[in-house]
Amino acid sequence: MPQKLWRKPLDAEKIKLPKPEIHIISDLCKGCGFCIEFCPKRVLEKSDKLNKRGAFPPEVVDESECALCSFCTAICPEFAIFTIEKKDKEDNQDGEKE
Amino acid sequence: MVIEEKAKEEPRIGVYVCHCGLNIAGTIDCEEVTKFAATLPHVVVAKDNRYTCSDQGQEVIKNDIKENNLNRVVVASCSPRLHEPTFRKTCEDAGLNKYLFEMANIREHCSWVHLHEKETATEKAKDLVKAAVAKVALLEPAIETEVPILRKALVIGGGVAGIQAALDLADTGYKVYLVEKQPSIGGRMAQIDKTFPTMDCSICILAPKMSDAGHHPNIELLTNSEVQEVKGYIGNFKIKVLRKPRYVTDDCSACNECSEDCPVTAPNEFDAGLATRKAIYTPFAQAVPSTYIIDHDLCLNKENVMACDKCIQACERQAINFDMKAETVELEVGTIIVATGADIYDASAYLNYGYTRYPNVITSLEFERLINAGGPSGGSLIRPNDLEVPKSVAFIQCVGSRSEKGNLYCSNVCCMNTIKDSLLIKEHWPDVKIYVFYLDIRAFGKGFEDLYRRAKEEGVIFVRGLPAEIIEDSKTHNLWLIGENTLQKEIYKVNVDMVILSVGIEPCIDSDIIQRLFTLSKTSDGFFMEAHPKLKPVDTPTGGVFLAGCAESPKDIKDSVTQASASAARAGILMGQGKVTVEAITPKTIPENCQFCGLCAQVCPYNAIVVDKEKKIVEIIEAACAGCGTCGAECPFEALHMRHFTNAQIHAQIDALTEMNADKKIIAFCCNWCAYAGADFAGVSRMQYPPNVRIIRTMCSGRVSQKFIEHAFAKGVGAVLVAGCHPGDCHYINANHQTQKRVERLWKKMERIGVNKERLQLLWASAAEGERVASKVREMQTNLKKLTLDEVEKSKAAFSRS
Repeated sequence: MPQKLWRKPLDAEKIKLPKPEIHIISDLCKGCGFCIEFCPKRVLEKSDKLNKRGAFPPEVVDESECALCSFCTAICPEFAIFTIEKKDKEDNQDGEKE
Repeated sequence: MVIEEKAKEEPRIGVYVCHCGLNIAGTIDCEEVTKFAATLPHVVVAKDNRYTCSDQGQEVIKNDIKENNLNRVVVASCSPRLHEPTFRKTCEDAGLNKYLFEMANIREHCSWVHLHEKETATEKAKDLVKAAVAKVALLEPAIETEVPILRKALVIGGGVAGIQAALDLADTGYKVYLVEKQPSIGGRMAQIDKTFPTMDCSICILAPKMSDAGHHPNIELLTNSEVQEVKGYIGNFKIKVLRKPRYVTDDCSACNECSEDCPVTAPNEFDAGLATRKAIYTPFAQAVPSTYIIDHDLCLNKENVMACDKCIQACERQAINFDMKAETVELEVGTIIVATGADIYDASAYLNYGYTRYPNVITSLEFERLINAGGPSGGSLIRPNDLEVPKSVAFIQCVGSRSEKGNLYCSNVCCMNTIKDSLLIKEHWPDVKIYVFYLDIRAFGKGFEDLYRRAKEEGVIFVRGLPAEIIEDSKTHNLWLIGENTLQKEIYKVNVDMVILSVGIEPCIDSDIIQRLFTLSKTSDGFFMEAHPKLKPVDTPTGGVFLAGCAESPKDIKDSVTQASASAARAGILMGQGKVTVEAITPKTIPENCQFCGLCAQVCPYNAIVVDKEKKIVEIIEAACAGCGTCGAECPFEALHMRHFTNAQIHAQIDALTEMNADKKIIAFCCNWCAYAGADFAGVSRMQYPPNVRIIRTMCSGRVSQKFIEHAFAKGVGAVLVAGCHPGDCHYINANHQTQKRVERLWKKMERIGVNKERLQLLWASAAEGERVASKVREMQTNLKKLTLDEVEKSKAAFSRS
C-alpha cells in the first residue's frame, strides 16, 4: 500500500491562503444559477428567499471554502456577485513579523 | 539438406548417467542405471561419471560422438532448466545438432525427492532414462532462426535502481527510455534522510545521479507516464506508454511563483502527508525534471471550465498550458528492465498499535520526512500532536514483516534503518531516550554490525519482544507500551512520547498490472521471480526482460544499485550481440492433413497462425510464435508438427514409462515455466514425495493434448496429473485456459464411460510452489492405493477403443 495520507499536515496552520469575502447583491440576481453550478469549490447554493426580481438568489454555504478564483464574478450576467480578499489585523501583524 | 539426411540415419544413442558427486549417487545406484541404459534400443554407449557437466565429463561425450559416430545423446543428471544449454553446446562442439539431445532429470525429480527410498528411486531413474532414450530416438535436428535485437532499452521505474540501470546502459551507448509514474524520478531513496551504514545523506548522493539521468543525451525521460501495452518478443518489443499531461511546459524555470498564488492545497505525498503542497507544485526541491506539475484532480479548472487563472497570471514565462492532453507514446525497444520498486506496509492493520488513531504513532517513512532537513519540520525531531521535541521514543520492529498478521517474509532493511535512525536522533538530541523493540536484529551486511554496536554504545536500549499493545494517555498523548521482554522473561510497561513503527516493504500496488504486461512470475511473497535464484538472479523467464531493485525482493540501496548494474550488463550483452536465436520449437504445418478448420488459430495466444478457409492456406508467423504448442494440442487432424515436442515423441515417452507396473504410476505433464520448475524447486528444497510419479515436460500445459492423457490411460496408467501455471500467470498469455477446457472435457468423458474422474487431476502451481506439487503427488498416491485392477482394466479398454 502507498503511505496513507490521513494526518492534517504539520504545516497546515502556517500555509496562508487569502481569506475570502463573498458579496451577493441579492436584488440584481435573476436566478440563472451559473455561479452555483460553476463554483469549483461548491460554496454556493440556491436560497429560498425571493428577491425583488422574483428570483431565488444564491446563498453562501461555507465562506472559508472559497478559493477566491472569482469565477462567479466573471460569469454572473447581472454583476450580482463579487469576491474580495479579507484583510484583518492579525494577518497584517504576522506579515510585519516576517 | 545435410540435416534432413542426418534425421533419416539409424539412431546411435549415447547415454551418460551423472553421479553429481553424491547428490544423485547417494540415493541412486548409477552403475545399475547405466547397465540398464546399455540394454535399451539404439543405445551404443552408456557411461556413468562423477560430474558430467565438468570439462572432463563433457570431453567424454564429445569423444564418443566422434569415435562412436553417435547421432543422439541423453544425459541423466539434473534439471534441463539448469544444464540443457551446457550439454547442447557440448553436442554442437562435437558437430552434433543440439536438438538431438535430451535430458533425464534424475536429481531434482528423483534422488533429491526420494532420499530414503534408494531402490524405488533407482527404478524410477531407469524409467526416466528409458523415456529420454525413447524420445531422443525420435528427435529431429533443427536450425534456429535468428532475430535481430533493437539497440534500445526501456527501463520502468525511476527509483535508484532504474536510474542506475538507465545510466549504465546509456553510458554504454544505448538509447534508453526511462518511464516513471510519478512526476519526478528519485523513488524511495529521495524520501529517505540518511543511508546506512555510512550515514551518507541520501538525496545528496542521489541528486547528482538524477540530474545525470535527466541530462544524458542517450536517456529520454518519460515522467508522469505509465506503460499500457507490451507486444512483441525479445529484441523487438513494441511498447505503448501513456504520457499524462503536466499542464506545464519545459519553459518552467521552477521559480515557485505559481505555487505561491495557487489557492488550493493537499497533503504532499512525497512528505508522506506531513506537509502541504498546492495544486501546482513540484514534489521536492531536487525533482528531475524540475518542471512543475498541476494536479488536475485538485485544480479548480475542470474539463472546458477555466475557473481560476492565478498560476497563469503568476507565470512570467507563460509555461502553463491547460490545453495539454494525455498522449500515447509508441516505443520500439530490444530489452526491458523492470525496476518498479515497492510500497510500504499499511500499519493501520495492526489495530493494537493504534496507527491512525494515536497522533504520536508514526511510521518509519514519516520519520524519514520528519528528520529530513527538506521535510516539513526542517529536520527537527518533533512529535505530530504538539510539535514538541519528544523526550523518549520507541521503535517497534517487524511491523508487517515476519508475522502471520502482515507478511511472512523479512523486509530486509528495517533493522538497519532503525539503528541508523536511532543514531541520527542521538547525534542531534543526545538526551532523548530511545527504545528499540525487536524480534531479532539482523545486521548481516558489510559494516552493519559496527553500526549496531555504535547504537548500543550510544545508549540505545534494545529490548527483545514486541509490544502486545500500545495505549495512549488521552491527556498527554504519550504512549504506554506493554509487552514481554523475552530475554529476561518479564513483562514491561514503558512510557514514551512518540512511537515509530518500523514498517515492512510490500510489492508495489501496480505489480499485478506489470506482471500481466510482461508475463512475469511472482513468488509466494508477491515479488517478481528471477529465472534462476542463483545463476540468473536478474533475468526473468521472459526473454529480454530483466529485474532490478525492490521489484524483485526487499533490498537496500547498495543491493538495488548492484542489481541494476547487473541487469544493465545482461541487457547490454543482448544488445551488443545485436541478435538472438529463437528456440526451434515452433510448429510446422502438414498441409496434406489440414482441413483448414481454423481451431489452431482460435487457440493461439499470439495470433501467430493465419488460416484462410477459402484459399486453403495455413501459415505460421514464426517470429510471433512463442512455441507453447497449444495449437498442436487442439488440432484434430494431426496437421501440426510441434517441433521438439511432437505427438510421436510424447507418445514414445508415455509408452516407455507405462511399460512396467503402469497401474502403480502417476504420469504428470508439467509445463516448463511453473509446474516443472516447481517440481525442480521441491527437489532443491528436498521435499519428499512418493516415487511413483513420472514427469513429462512440455513448454506449456496447453501442449497437453487430450490424446496424450487418453493414451496414458489406455496404457493402463493409475493416474494422470496435468500441471501448469496459475490462471493469469501463464507464460504464453492465456494458453492454459485451453488446458483447463481440455481437462474438463475429459472429466465429463470419464464420468460418461464410468471411469473415476479423480484419476485425472489438474494442478496450478507456480515455480515457487514446490510443496504444492509434492502434496498433490502425496494426495494422488493415497487415492492410487485404493485403485483396483478391475478399474484399471476398464479404463484401459474404454480409452483403447477411443
